[in-house]
Amino acid sequence: MSREHALDDWYPVADTVLPQIRATRLLDTDLSVAWDGETASVTGPDGTAYPAEIRFDHVWTCLGPAPRPLFGIEEADQPGRRRVPCGGVRVRCSPLRAVENFLDIAHFPYVHTGILGAEPHTEVFPYEVKIREEVDEVWATKVSFYQPQAAKSAGGATDIRYEYRVPHPMAAVLYKTCPPRPSEWDVIAIFVQPVSETVCIAWPWMALFDDTSSQAELVQFQQEIFLQDRSILENQIPAGLPLDPRMEIPTRADLTSVAYRRWLKRRGALYGALTEAE
Amino acid sequence: MTPTLYTHVLDAECYKVRLLAALLGLPLDCVAVDSYPGEETRSEAFLALAPAGTLPVLEAGGLVLCGAPAILTWLAATGDVTEGWMPQDPAPRAQMQMWLGFSQRLSATAGAARLEAMFDMPAPEGALAAAEACLRELELHLAIRAVDDGAWLVGDHPCIADIACFADVALCPDAGLLHDEFPFLRHWLYRLRALPGFLPMPGIHPLHELRAG
Amino acid sequence: MTTFPVALAHDLPPGRVQRAFAGGRDLVLWRSASGRAMAWDNRCPHRGMRLSHGFVRGERLACLYHGWQYGTEAACAHIPAHPDLAPPATIRAAAYDLAEAGGVIWVADEGYADPPDMPLAVMPLRSLTFRCDLATLAWACGLEPAPLLFLPEHPSLVIAPNPLGPDRTEAHVLTAPLHAADRIAAIHQTEALRRLAEEAAG
Ligand code: FES
Repeated sequence: MSREHALDDWYPVADTVLPQIRATRLLDTDLSVAWDGETASVTGPDGTAYPAEIRFDHVWTCLGPAPRPLFGIEEADQPGRRRVPCGGVRVRCSPLRAVENFLDIAHFPYVHTGILGAEPHTEVFPYEVKIREEVDEVWATKVSFYQPQAAKSAGGATDIRYEYRVPHPMAAVLYKTCPPRPSEWDVIAIFVQPVSETVCIAWPWMALFDDTSSQAELVQFQQEIFLQDRSILENQIPAGLPLDPRMEIPTRADLTSVAYRRWLKRRGALYGALTEAE
Repeated sequence: MTPTLYTHVLDAECYKVRLLAALLGLPLDCVAVDSYPGEETRSEAFLALAPAGTLPVLEAGGLVLCGAPAILTWLAATGDVTEGWMPQDPAPRAQMQMWLGFSQRLSATAGAARLEAMFDMPAPEGALAAAEACLRELELHLAIRAVDDGAWLVGDHPCIADIACFADVALCPDAGLLHDEFPFLRHWLYRLRALPGFLPMPGIHPLHELRAG
Repeated sequence: MTTFPVALAHDLPPGRVQRAFAGGRDLVLWRSASGRAMAWDNRCPHRGMRLSHGFVRGERLACLYHGWQYGTEAACAHIPAHPDLAPPATIRAAAYDLAEAGGVIWVADEGYADPPDMPLAVMPLRSLTFRCDLATLAWACGLEPAPLLFLPEHPSLVIAPNPLGPDRTEAHVLTAPLHAADRIAAIHQTEALRRLAEEAAG
């Protein structure tokens, strides 16, 4: 049931950093992905050819009969931005848990200590969350947090402003104060490949203004942060994302997560979710 | 002159070097190498520096050193005024060498299993089981050391072999190999993490209990 | 059996936290700065993080994910994201009864912990896990399964076994007071026992 609904979305199955042939798995289906630097192909175990689309420096595919349109990120092609695909990281957790963690700020002081947060600056100030019906996306705005080193390009500690956007059950985009260009947002996204309901591959990606850092430095700044999350994600129980409000206890700081869970339920995007209390 | 370290933030071998430098208070000029996903370690420029195509690499003046054991040895020999990190007497020095050798077994097993679990880089067959056998061996050694109140692998001060073994052992949970059944290992990991100047890395979080609430 | 030996008391000093298992339950086991040991469900009520990854500050256990703190009565005492909020009393971890006897920490998966009578003057040796069931471990000792195994061949060794499943059994091993050389010999005996049991288990 839940897999059927998930089949009609697009998912990343490889990055386009280097030409490669990659054996991988999506929604419990084995796939072979080939990328030669110009075109990509995605093939199933029985030889079925699936559609392949290149977007945001990744190869995306859809296994279902009626693909829903893949979302856009306007800033991806904005002149002057550097696009930074960060490689895939396998995590033993539900793809939905990986997205929810990306939307969370209260963990910064404990999990990203000294980078995205630090005690005693733990308070999460009120922010706004809504489902934008016209685009059917979850948005959190007016989020702010004290950060010791918000970005590679940040000189020191600053109060950082955030906006979060969930355009897809397994992808989220973060718009964040850009230290070298206060009038622009840095864009950081997470695209999640659901391998199964309890295993996923996360593909962090960024589009930034930064004229000084090397590509390797930018990639590693983001990899460090995501790998700090990985050890958390592998230790949340149950592995699936509980949608029954009785199973976990949110607070005001978790409004984005609450809206995300509701939005998933309403959409019927239940692959990787647990709908009933254990 | 500050030595240059070519490094990757998720690489356990590089972490060993950065950790010892942090504990000794030695500055390093770190140059990030995009080994994943960019495979920069296969580039002509990198291969000219390090023909094996592996990290870490340290450059100091005209000296180029490849691999964690050599770099740890050099850092301790040149930067450790206390001389505690590299015992000089023949017996402990040879024991240290033995555990440095053991650290290579750890990285070939536990380290490889971790890279497979995180990045789908194929590990040798049986790496995880062999890693577990290594953990049992280390646990036994630490249990015996504890009979005489020995807290470290050799002698009464941590040595570079403690650092060399620490990284892969501490990161085992990344590969799904947990520390739960190894109490002596857990105590040893904790002692290392509690050292002044300790440097965390993703998968090895700082001891928040030691900070003010 | 409802009371399980989960650790040697000596392996859990004040201010430390670890994972433990009792009768199929995944537990966090921790000891406060003042020395009180506790066993709770290994799951933070907030977002399900294993509390065994957390950290102890004074008389509280904090979760690693968002730093929620729980006091010795298992109730949530502090939510760092809302420092001025008094957490509702309903937010609590599920606690299990725990007793320390004979150098071993015992936990009841339900009701009160009721440890067996422990011999006097035993010293902790080590805890180790066997990849076999309890019956095979007992067989390797030349015994039938029991809450305490007194090794006939090694009169100074006592094992408190904790069955975790068909292929995993914890052995918490104690000895009479011994000299260093004999303690080391006893450690090697536990290794030999494990080899014997695991070979038999295949
Ligand atoms: S999951 Fe424990 S504090 Fe959030």
